[in-house]
Amino acid sequence: MRARGALVLAAAAALVAPATASAHAVLKGASPATQSSVDAAPSEVRLRFSQPVVVAAGAIQVLAPDGSSLAGPARVEEGGRVVVAPVSGLRSGIAYTVRWRVTSGDGHSPSGVYTFGIGVVPPPPTDAVGARGATWRDDLARWALFAAIALLIGPLTLRLVVLRGPVPAALERRVHLVTTGAALAAINAGILGFVLRASNALQLPFGDLLYGDLQPFAEKTRFGIAFLFLTVGFGVVFGLLLLAWVLELDAPRLGALALSVGLVAGLSLSGHQATEPGSSWLTALVDWLHLVAASVWVGGVAALALVVWPTAPALRRRAFVGFSRLAVALVGVLVVGGVYLALERLAAPSELWTTGYGRVLLVKLAVVAVALGWGAVHHVVVRPRLEAGRPVRARPSLAGEAAVALAVLLVAAALTNASPPPPERAGDVTATAAR
Amino acid sequence: MIPPPEVAHWLAGAVALFVGLLLLSEVIVGDDIFRKRVWRASLWPSLALAGGTLLWVVTAFSTFSTIHLLAHALWAEAAMIAGAVQLALARGKLTSPRWSLVAAAALFFSGVAFLVHESNPWLYSRSAFLHHVIGWTLVVAALFPLGRALQPRRAVWSAGFALTFVVLAVLLFADRDVAPIFGRFGEGGPP
Repeated sequence: MRARGALVLAAAAALVAPATASAHAVLKGASPATQSSVDAAPSEVRLRFSQPVVVAAGAIQVLAPDGSSLAGPARVEEGGRVVVAPVSGLRSGIAYTVRWRVTSGDGHSPSGVYTFGIGVVPPPPTDAVGARGATWRDDLARWALFAAIALLIGPLTLRLVVLRGPVPAALERRVHLVTTGAALAAINAGILGFVLRASNALQLPFGDLLYGDLQPFAEKTRFGIAFLFLTVGFGVVFGLLLLAWVLELDAPRLGALALSVGLVAGLSLSGHQATEPGSSWLTALVDWLHLVAASVWVGGVAALALVVWPTAPALRRRAFVGFSRLAVALVGVLVVGGVYLALERLAAPSELWTTGYGRVLLVKLAVVAVALGWGAVHHVVVRPRLEAGRPVRARPSLAGEAAVALAVLLVAAALTNASPPPPERAGDVTATAAR
Repeated sequence: MIPPPEVAHWLAGAVALFVGLLLLSEVIVGDDIFRKRVWRASLWPSLALAGGTLLWVVTAFSTFSTIHLLAHALWAEAAMIAGAVQLALARGKLTSPRWSLVAAAALFFSGVAFLVHESNPWLYSRSAFLHHVIGWTLVVAALFPLGRALQPRRAVWSAGFALTFVVLAVLLFADRDVAPIFGRFGEGGPP
């Protein structure tokens, strides 16, 4: 009884007493500010936290591009809420990286990284000193996002455009299952990709990464801003698809399809076709069309194999022939858009085999050729048989084409994370910083 | 321009209180009377679904640490999935009482996320204390929909489920304006 009474008293005290310090210490502001360009070299770096912290001497590192540290021992001010480190030897025209690590009252160690420039636009935090480039994990996360978007947009297009009207309940259930699951997967793949990208710059072990500050990445990079929009957007898409399932209405699904197609623009506006030197609204627009066409094609073929064939034998012919017509237009957009974008990114054909980006592009072209060839066989061999009403065992072949198409997305993911060769034209240095 | 975090807490508390009162009224008057109109039965699941969708906006502003981002994402997903399944039950699309297991899982994992993302001990501060209480409340309250899945006619499970949301609302309303659990909006202001 006594213990219970003590717990009740403790509970009451905790609720009545004013909160002085709450959860984890988080960075609330910095001087020089995150991703800022200052006119004169600062004499110190100041970080303000949400609650008192304790620091070691090397809590703040200010790194020059060559990796040398220019900060003195850190100290705390204002009751531990502000951490200050003196800096010396900073020069105008150079961007610097700030890496910080403090300890909260609970013993955990929040960490972060950001950049600032003196008289220059600083690089994004993903290009901070000590940051690592994209790895195979980033490629896999990006591929998961591409695949999820394809499995969201493709089956929705097949159902709402090619197979309009009533369909068997089993088919409808499968479409709901695949598209709703894909929307959820898109959200989580996006989160995974964002955290991985930030972790490449933060360079923290997993335990510390959980308390890593992601704000500079979310707010100061194109991919971070795109991540925020995609997360909220696909959250809405997920809600619309759940509503469509419960209420058995097509209108929310049409909204989900339209919104998903629009959200793909977020990938284009944060990718090479909008950020690299020489990019324009036209390259971003073509990239968006390219991505949408690829998503409908890959997801549509997968839906034929996974959704239509096993659940609605009576609709196979209608679905295949209808999608086949659509696929011709999709492949046209894919090829024309892909060629245009390749010409924009590569200055000479030799860059296809002399640069890493070009070699990945070559691999992509090879896999695309296999996928298109496979599709052509379907178009020339399977379609006439289905139209003639002859039995066709097309499911394994469709699954094969879908698998190759998903492989295209994997190479596309690697291509997205690779850096195109620098253009020979001079000028645009700010575009890199916008990434 | 972004509202302080406790506004989000209080908004969530208001939604939880409304849901709790709706569920409580259903327990008091009985299923048969309450569900004479479908919209009444659909009301709280719709709120859960809409609330989960709005939580994505909060998730987008929770990038001050990885674990907060992940926790908010999990809450949003749990609320949306559980809300949609309950909505399907209310409209007769789903019929088995075993679907209550989805609500049980949602409460359990939401509670675990509360406990995991709170790194401070119980009495470190009010915020830490509330997070621990909310976490354990949700974990234990997962027993109510679990019981309802196994014994759908026993009112005690429905009453416990309803009261869970009322308690959750009280705990969320107890949050004060100095709550740096939401990092950037905490005390002190910008430097």
